[in-house]
Amino acid sequence: MSDDNIFDVQNVTLRFGGVVSLNDVSLHQRRGEILAVIGPNGAGKTSLFNSLTGVYKPQEGTITFTGEPGNPVSVIGRKPHRLNGAGIARTFQASRMFSALTTFENVKIGAESHRGLGAVGAMLGGPATRRGEKESDRRTIELLDFVGLRDEANTLSASLSYGARRRLEIARGLATNPKVLLLDEPAAGTNPAEKLDLTELIRKVRDEMGVSILLIEHDMKLVMSLAERLYVLNFGSVIAEGTPDEIRANEAVVEAYLGSSDTGTSQATTSPDGVEVTDAQG
Amino acid sequence: MKDMLRTPLARRIGMTTAVAVLLLIMTGPSGTVYQPTAGVVGSFSARSSFFGLFATQRWVVWLALTLIVTGVIRAVKFLRARVPQVNTVPREAVAAIKAPFRRRSIRFSSYGVVLLVALFIPALISDNFWQQSIVEAIAVYVLLALGLNVVVGFAGLLDLGFVAFYAIGAYVTAWVTGALPLHAPFGVHLDPFWAIPIAIAVAMVAGILLGIPTLRLRGDYLAIVTLGFGEIVTIFLNNLYKVTGGSTGSNQVPHFVFHVGPLKYAWGLGPVPYYYLTLGFVVLFLLAFSRLEHSRVGRAWTAIREDEVAAESLGINPLKFKVMAFAIGAASAGFAGVMTAAQTNFLSPQTFLLSVSINVLVLVIFGGMGSIIGVLVGAALVQFLLTYLDHYAPYGFQPADIYIYLGALLVATMIFRPAGLIPAKRRRREIAMAEAGEGHMDELLTGDTP
Repeated sequence: MSDDNIFDVQNVTLRFGGVVSLNDVSLHQRRGEILAVIGPNGAGKTSLFNSLTGVYKPQEGTITFTGEPGNPVSVIGRKPHRLNGAGIARTFQASRMFSALTTFENVKIGAESHRGLGAVGAMLGGPATRRGEKESDRRTIELLDFVGLRDEANTLSASLSYGARRRLEIARGLATNPKVLLLDEPAAGTNPAEKLDLTELIRKVRDEMGVSILLIEHDMKLVMSLAERLYVLNFGSVIAEGTPDEIRANEAVVEAYLGSSDTGTSQATTSPDGVEVTDAQG
Repeated sequence: MKDMLRTPLARRIGMTTAVAVLLLIMTGPSGTVYQPTAGVVGSFSARSSFFGLFATQRWVVWLALTLIVTGVIRAVKFLRARVPQVNTVPREAVAAIKAPFRRRSIRFSSYGVVLLVALFIPALISDNFWQQSIVEAIAVYVLLALGLNVVVGFAGLLDLGFVAFYAIGAYVTAWVTGALPLHAPFGVHLDPFWAIPIAIAVAMVAGILLGIPTLRLRGDYLAIVTLGFGEIVTIFLNNLYKVTGGSTGSNQVPHFVFHVGPLKYAWGLGPVPYYYLTLGFVVLFLLAFSRLEHSRVGRAWTAIREDEVAAESLGINPLKFKVMAFAIGAASAGFAGVMTAAQTNFLSPQTFLLSVSINVLVLVIFGGMGSIIGVLVGAALVQFLLTYLDHYAPYGFQPADIYIYLGALLVATMIFRPAGLIPAKRRRREIAMAEAGEGHMDELLTGDTP
């Protein structure tokens, strides 16, 4: 348990009745690292994400999140909104926008969620509330600029393209000032140009904002170009760990997941138009 | 010809006419075995009074009412149509910040029109029965509906026991004014005017106490638990004889007196001063709730309503915001309770039945969940019609029959205007998206969707 690790997962097992979703999983993420978790469908990737964000409670093992050096937080048993306050933000596999709200409002919800409650102030329209609103507005614009969605500020989030939705989700997560951003298949349903933009954006998030990135992705090209280190999950267990080059050369991985095809172009299960991916419930 | 009948306008006129005729016949006289058509014919031709102003045939009255209602809806829509549409706002960050404020001025101008009309109602309607009813049956229900709108419309929580907070407000008033068998706190009998803050506070605390354990439940489960809570309160009121006066309740609640220093004003028997007091509070709640809707609290409610998991992942504590919605909704119900107790001087458990909760829920759904102006206009309209029915009861009409009409209204609303009379923007989008399976949002933004 080093202070350098932002996530430290030790022997985590998660069961749903008789089904073992995560089996004795141990992994860690260094601060400032872009880490990827790959694996075939049903390997437990999203279960791992849900365990890291407090949605699921694994029965065994420990998960330690160290957002600030010297201030470790035990993840298991904490509520998702508390963990977000501690510095964990995420996106979802099927993008979960607040579709009746505009892009601007979506991001603003993230920007203002850790301000004081202020229901009374909001009803009276007091100066503190107005200051808070302005501050949140400013932060929201900043983030929309950062992800390149300023022109879509007043568009309803439901009418955005898939690529724009992914950006919006990233902006929304970043608005909560996280230390680590968990991206669940950020490239699902996007076209090749959007994929390229997303790769750039994710790297920019890490480089300019200093936010560590943990991502799940089926698109091998994106993962291999982006991730500094990878874990491979299969049937709920970690079967390999290493740099992209090491993983490419790993026999077990190729067999379990990539098959015999060329790793550089494999698209796994992501459908080109993204329909199935969007309809699935994260 | 066939094409003309297929236009949306023709369809809408046809459907509205069908519903209007149905209601006309439902509320008309009954036929007999010997004259089976008398009921139907009489429904149109029987003479009826138009607000006591003049007497004419029933169908004329209905036509006039329909035109008035349509006019009001059109007027409100016209005002709202000038709201800049989401997509047409200049796409600059500055405009993005300014847009909510511009919207606000228009929002308040439509409230202004309603307020102006409301201010002159007592002058226009001199009939004592109607003045009385406007306070007792309309204004109080408008307050209740505004409160329930926060819970159901904003936070998306189905509360079937809302009457409990109404009852708590009324009984707290009776308690602090010394009208109950239970002695007033510290033996001090307050004027009901000072019961207002106390009753509101107690109702809010009740909302929080009910909310914390129950709001972990979702959907139907929450509805059942709140239903139970409403029933428990009524049963307590009935059976705690030494505390609440049991089923006879109390008829000792004094009228409002405002007395600070040299200022003194006593509300007497006349309904008009009560009307203005209630109107003042309706305006207060209106402004407060409207601000709340467009604040971070309102956005958080929308987020939780749409996707609780995503909201939580952004650091929103759903329980906290839901409890808050309960407490804020309870506040306005508590105040409605004070009004009822003080204005009628009387209260008994018979006033606070499950049927009240359902009645208020119908008002909210009819007016448009989450739409403050819709709930306001819808509640006033429906309560007016119910009172009218009750007062000018057609032959054979029983007071309990109003629930037939409420039920029919609910069904008609769900079929023809699922987002309500004057839909809330966010709600309308949600419903439209659910129907379309997401996507195709642009026509929603530019078009005037019925």
